[in-house]
Amino acid sequence: MSRDRATSGQGDVERADRPVVEIIDAVVRFGEARAVDGVSLSVDRGEVLALVGESGSGKTTLIRAVQGLQALTSGRIMLTDPAAVQMVFQDPTGALNPRHTIGRIVGEGLDIRGTNGRDRTALVAAALADAGLRPAERFIDRFAHEVSGGQRQRVVIAGAMVMEPELLLADEPVASLDASIRGEILALLRSLVDGRGLAIVAVTHDLGLAWNIADRIAVMYLGRIVEMGPTEPVLSQPRHPYTRALLSVVPEAGGRERQILVGETPDPRRIPDGCRFRPRCPLYQSGEADRLGVAARCERDDPVLTRVAVAPPHSTACHAVGPE
Amino acid sequence: MTSSEPILVLDDVSVRYPASASGGSSGDPVAAVRGVSLTLARRGSLGLAGESGCGKSTLANAILRLLPAGTTIDGRIELGGDDVGAMNPGRLRAIRWTRAAIVFQGALHALNPVQRILDQVAEPMLIHDTVPSRAAAAERVRTLLEQVGLPGDRADAHPHQLSGGQRQRVLIAMALACEPDLLIADEPTTALDVMVQAQVLALLASLRAERNFSMIFITHDLSLLADVCDRLAVMYAGRVVEEGPSEQVLRAGHHPYTQALAAAFPIIGDPVSRLAPSGLPGDPPDPAALPTGCAFHPRCPMAVDRCAVEDPVLRVTGSERSAACLLVGERTS
Repeated sequence: MSRDRATSGQGDVERADRPVVEIIDAVVRFGEARAVDGVSLSVDRGEVLALVGESGSGKTTLIRAVQGLQALTSGRIMLTDPAAVQMVFQDPTGALNPRHTIGRIVGEGLDIRGTNGRDRTALVAAALADAGLRPAERFIDRFAHEVSGGQRQRVVIAGAMVMEPELLLADEPVASLDASIRGEILALLRSLVDGRGLAIVAVTHDLGLAWNIADRIAVMYLGRIVEMGPTEPVLSQPRHPYTRALLSVVPEAGGRERQILVGETPDPRRIPDGCRFRPRCPLYQSGEADRLGVAARCERDDPVLTRVAVAPPHSTACHAVGPE
Repeated sequence: MTSSEPILVLDDVSVRYPASASGGSSGDPVAAVRGVSLTLARRGSLGLAGESGCGKSTLANAILRLLPAGTTIDGRIELGGDDVGAMNPGRLRAIRWTRAAIVFQGALHALNPVQRILDQVAEPMLIHDTVPSRAAAAERVRTLLEQVGLPGDRADAHPHQLSGGQRQRVLIAMALACEPDLLIADEPTTALDVMVQAQVLALLASLRAERNFSMIFITHDLSLLADVCDRLAVMYAGRVVEEGPSEQVLRAGHHPYTQALAAAFPIIGDPVSRLAPSGLPGDPPDPAALPTGCAFHPRCPMAVDRCAVEDPVLRVTGSERSAACLLVGERTS
C-alpha cells in the first residue's frame, strides 16, 4: 500500500520509456464502502487517459490517491517522479483565492518549493503564456475575479504547469465551463501533451471530452475498470454493456437505440455479488446472458478485465463478451 | 382561445436589471435581454441555447415576471392569449403554476430542506385550490410522484433523504401538479449524472406525450436541446441570433455562433472532431459594455469590417429559419 518513485535499476536512460504512472491493484476502502476495488492501469508520457464513469464509480478517489491526497488500503502506485504530479479541479472560481493576484496564485507552488527572485517571475510569466494568457504582464497583477471564467481555468492550469509536471490529473476540467470555452481549454490541454510530452489523466463523465482529447479510455463502474482501450475502438465498438449504455445516452452519438439504465447510481457500500453490473445490465436483465449460457457466471463470478483485442490492447470485464 | 393559437408569444421583449442588481458600477440599468421575439406553438417545444449571461434564464423568468424588484420588462408577453404585462399581482399569482411552471436547476436549493416532499408538492395545489381538500392533495401528490417514477411513499421523506435525480423528479412533479399548459425547464439536468439525466429527459418526453403540455428547455448544450425540442433559438448577448427547426439548426447552423456551439460538443465517431476540440477564442461580452455593431463580431471567425459597425437584425434565412448575421445571405446563397 504505497505511492513510490518507480525504480528499474537500469538508470535514468530508461526513464523516458517507463510509464509516468503505474497503478497496481489499487484498493481504497472507506468503512464498508469499496470506493476503489482493485484497479490497475498505467499512463505513458505524452498520453491522455480519460477515466470515465458516474458518481460513485471511484474515479475521483483513484486520482486523489495518485496525487497523494488519499492513502491506498492496498496495492501500489508507482510514479517516475512523485513531485511531478499536479492536479486541477473542476470549479476554477472555488480554486482561486480572490484576494491574491494571478501572479501570486500561479507562483504559489514555486514559493513552497523555495524558488524566488527573477527565476520565479520568469517561470510564472512563462506558465501564464503557456496557458494562453498572453501577454503575461497583462494578467500577472490582476485579481482572479477580474478575469473571465475561461481565463480563470487557464490560471488554474498555469498554476499546475509552473511546477513542470510530468503528469496532470484533471478532475472534470471543463464541466463548469461554457460551451465555447470548453473547446479552447481542451485544445490547450492537448497542446501541452503534444508539445511537451505531458501525460494527463482526465476524470470525466463526458464521452465527448474523451473523443476530443483522449488517446485511451478506462470506463469505471463501482470501483472497477470494466472496459479499457484506445478511444476509437472503445467509443465506436464498445464491448461492455455499461459502456454501450453510457454511449447510447449521449445526444450526439446518433442513431443508437437508447439503453437507459434503471435505478439510481450504484452504492459502493453494497457491491453486488458476481458481476457488480448485473442488477442494471441490459444483457442479463433481458435474458440475453441466459441465452448465451453465461447467466450463472454473471451471478456467481466477479469478471476480470480480459483482453478482447491484442493490438491495440482493448480489455473488458464481462462474461458475455469474448475475444473478437 | 383556440387550439391553433400559440401558447406563448414574445414580441420585442427587453429586460433591464437595475445597475446595483447586475453588479455594474455605473448608474445605468443593464439590458440582459434586448428585443427578443419568439412564438411557441401549443404542444410545441422550444430549446433556448446560449452561454452564461446570454439572457436565456432572464427571458424564461420574465415570462412569469419572476425577476428582482426594479427590473423593467419592455415589449409584449402573451401567455395563452393573455398579456402577462397587463396582469395585476393577484392574476399573476393565479397563472403561476397553473398556466406555466418552471423547473429550476440545482434541485437541492429549490426545495425547502425542513419540509416533507408531500407538503412542498401539495403547496401549489392548495394555494390555487385545484384540489378540494388536504387529503385529496396528499392523494394527488402520491400519484404525481409515481408518474415521475418515484415510489408514492417518498412523499413522507425530506429532501436530504433523496438523491439528486430523485429531487429533480420531485421538482418536475411539483411543476406538473397544477397541470400547466407550459413547462419551463431551466437546465433541469445540468447537475445530474449522465444516466440520471437520460432518465429525466425520457420522463419529460413521456409526460409530454401523455399530457400535451408545451415546453421551453434551457441549456448551453445544443445537441441535448436538439434531442428534446422541435425548435431551437440560440441567444447571444441578450438577442436571439438564430431560430429554426432543431435538427437543421444543430446540423447546419446559419449563424457562425450557432456553428461554434454545435461544434463544441463533438459527434462521437466523427473523424473531424477526433483529437480536435473546437472552441471560440475570447469570452461572451459584458452586457454593460457591448461591442459596437454585431455583438458577436470580436469572436467571429468570419467577421468583416462592417460587422463592427452594423448591428444585424434577425431575418429570414430559409424555410422557417432566421438568423441575425450580416453575412448569412451572402454565404448561403
